[in-house]
Amino acid sequence: MSRAIVLRVAREEWRYWRRSRLALVTLGVGLLIILIAIATTAVRVQTEHGARHDMQALAEARFLEQPARHPHRMVHYGHYVFREPPPLAVIDPGVDAVTGTVMFLEGHRQNSATFSPFFATALAGEFANLTPALVYQLLAPLLLIVVGFSSLAREREAGTDRLLYATSLSPLQLWGGKALALTGLCGLLMVPLLLAGTYAVATGESGGATAALLGGYALYLLIWALIVVGVSAWSSRSAAALLGLLVAWIVLGVLAPGVVASLAERQAPTQGKLRTDLEVARTLRDEGDGHNASDPAFASLRAGLLSQYNVDKIEDLPVNFRGVVAEFAEARLTDILNRFAEQRLELERRQSDAATSLSLLSPRLAMSAYSLRMANTDLAQLHQFLRSAEDNRFAFVQGLNKLHATDMSYVDDINRSANAESERRTRLNAENWRLLESFDAPLPDAAQRMDRAWPALLMMLLWAAVGGGLGCYGALRSAARVNA
Amino acid sequence: MAAMLSIEQLTVERGGNTVLDNISFEVTQGEVYALLGGNGAGKSTTLLTLLGFIEPVCGRATVNGIDVQNDTQAVRRQTAYLPEATNLYGHLSGRENVEYLLELAAVRPDRAALDAAFDQVRLAADARDSHMVTYSKGMRQKVAIASAILRQTPILLLDEPTSGLDPLAIEEFNAIVVDLASEGKTILMVTHDLYGACEVAQRVGILRHGRFVSEFDAAAEQHGGRVSADAVRQAFIEAAV
Repeated sequence: MSRAIVLRVAREEWRYWRRSRLALVTLGVGLLIILIAIATTAVRVQTEHGARHDMQALAEARFLEQPARHPHRMVHYGHYVFREPPPLAVIDPGVDAVTGTVMFLEGHRQNSATFSPFFATALAGEFANLTPALVYQLLAPLLLIVVGFSSLAREREAGTDRLLYATSLSPLQLWGGKALALTGLCGLLMVPLLLAGTYAVATGESGGATAALLGGYALYLLIWALIVVGVSAWSSRSAAALLGLLVAWIVLGVLAPGVVASLAERQAPTQGKLRTDLEVARTLRDEGDGHNASDPAFASLRAGLLSQYNVDKIEDLPVNFRGVVAEFAEARLTDILNRFAEQRLELERRQSDAATSLSLLSPRLAMSAYSLRMANTDLAQLHQFLRSAEDNRFAFVQGLNKLHATDMSYVDDINRSANAESERRTRLNAENWRLLESFDAPLPDAAQRMDRAWPALLMMLLWAAVGGGLGCYGALRSAARVNA
Repeated sequence: MAAMLSIEQLTVERGGNTVLDNISFEVTQGEVYALLGGNGAGKSTTLLTLLGFIEPVCGRATVNGIDVQNDTQAVRRQTAYLPEATNLYGHLSGRENVEYLLELAAVRPDRAALDAAFDQVRLAADARDSHMVTYSKGMRQKVAIASAILRQTPILLLDEPTSGLDPLAIEEFNAIVVDLASEGKTILMVTHDLYGACEVAQRVGILRHGRFVSEFDAAAEQHGGRVSADAVRQAFIEAAV
């Protein structure tokens, strides 16, 4: 295939678009929507990032500012952690928009994340979903369809294909030129995304992850370009090509995600929160109440300690038995809560994987999965936040429980409501609150994200091969029809 | 003289019908051969078969010694084709149309050569850079002819080249054909213009239902080296009846 000839065909197609009002208006409107989506998302993400970052610092400062008090009061005073959107959320905010972004951490409980931006913006009547990811995954293919549907069908319809072939142009050269022209258009559409990627890198994202994400979007647009030219090659009339492509866009771009979500839910059903909470409550019923050191559930702990320190009464223990019970009970409770939480996360992960495996049904599904994973705004990132938050919670709660056990006497502790001096002695110095670790959920690097994203990338490569094959075969078939 | 176009016992079927039925003929270098015949006689099919657009069920077609079925692309590089319906690009000017088609054929004429070709086909200078949508059928035909001339291929296959041209333009076109033949170009033209064909062609063949019913050779005639239009007309009418 002579590259110069293919390029010449492509240049001619670009000239056609430059002189076509439909193509120019479509592109103009499309680029405007893309730029608006990028600008509004960047502002929103940056605002969210700044607000959550500031709130995180404020929450930590508030915790540390607490006066001297009983450590168990600090366990219940609790702490807040905020999920900061990663830099590539400017392209794909992912689950951030629909899942909670702030979590209250306290003793004896694993709370859910609350306050989703989608809920907030929906209440404000804002079109929260206009993100670059959505625009590129759904709108950009439509732009390619409107601009390119007639690329080959038009030649056949007007009879110019025979004239072109008579110059010794081969069907594959003609197809290659048309596909190259639409690929060039994809390049133009990628420019705003490149700017968004540059912005993400400037705000701390890794260059490798950004390049991989942009490469994924370029591949996705290429898939659609190949589908558009392929369907055009198969169609004898432009109108038929447009109709076929619109049907393909509706099925692959609009309907498939909903259908696949239902299929994934059937394939890996998740348990409702209410049912899970009831099961957790039922399981916890058999555990002791950590606030009550006399609870029979801690009898063996008590016996063990008395034996260990060779004393007869818990008042004689060198540690505060109440604190030991609190620490012991928190560990037992956390084990149970973690077990249920991990079961739920595993079910969610399996559902997400099931959806990804079904992305062979639609390039949009594959792109969506790839985009979420490379942007680090996927379910795994949410799970990582939940685990990090739980680690943070458990660390500071157990740190406080340890202080409870070691830094005050049992006698003072049980008399603190009746005796002012005991109450004073059970107030620990505020310096102790510095055991709170600063909350930080590190970004996985490009390789780690690619480990999660490669199945989706593979699906897209398969779609590209299908699109290319469809186009090549369609072009040869179309040329055969010219001959006939 | 070597045969530049050769068709041997060629049979073509389309849609279950025999369109060309075992025809044979040759066109030598510098010769103009005109194929006449009524609608559906198989004239255009002959051209399309020579270009490799249609595969024969039997027989063989060669262009400058190249078997059409073996190397269609090489054949197309040797030939300039002027289709019956001049479908050019409406969004391009006449000049841009010619430039595009020539560049696809790896020919890069300069502006002067283009203007010379347009002068030759008498396309008005002020129309050359206007979009084709504003052209009349005759003007489009002139652009297509200019493109065929500029291809500078040894062989021209012309399908109804004077269709849509006014009488003066037809006369000018016929003069161009004679000039090209004198330069050594081999020309096979399909036409309904019986008189024009007799004016420019050394040989005229009449097809009916895919078969040759008559062939006239100027060299064998006593009409000043031209095929007798009257004789051709008579044969054409007899073939049509």
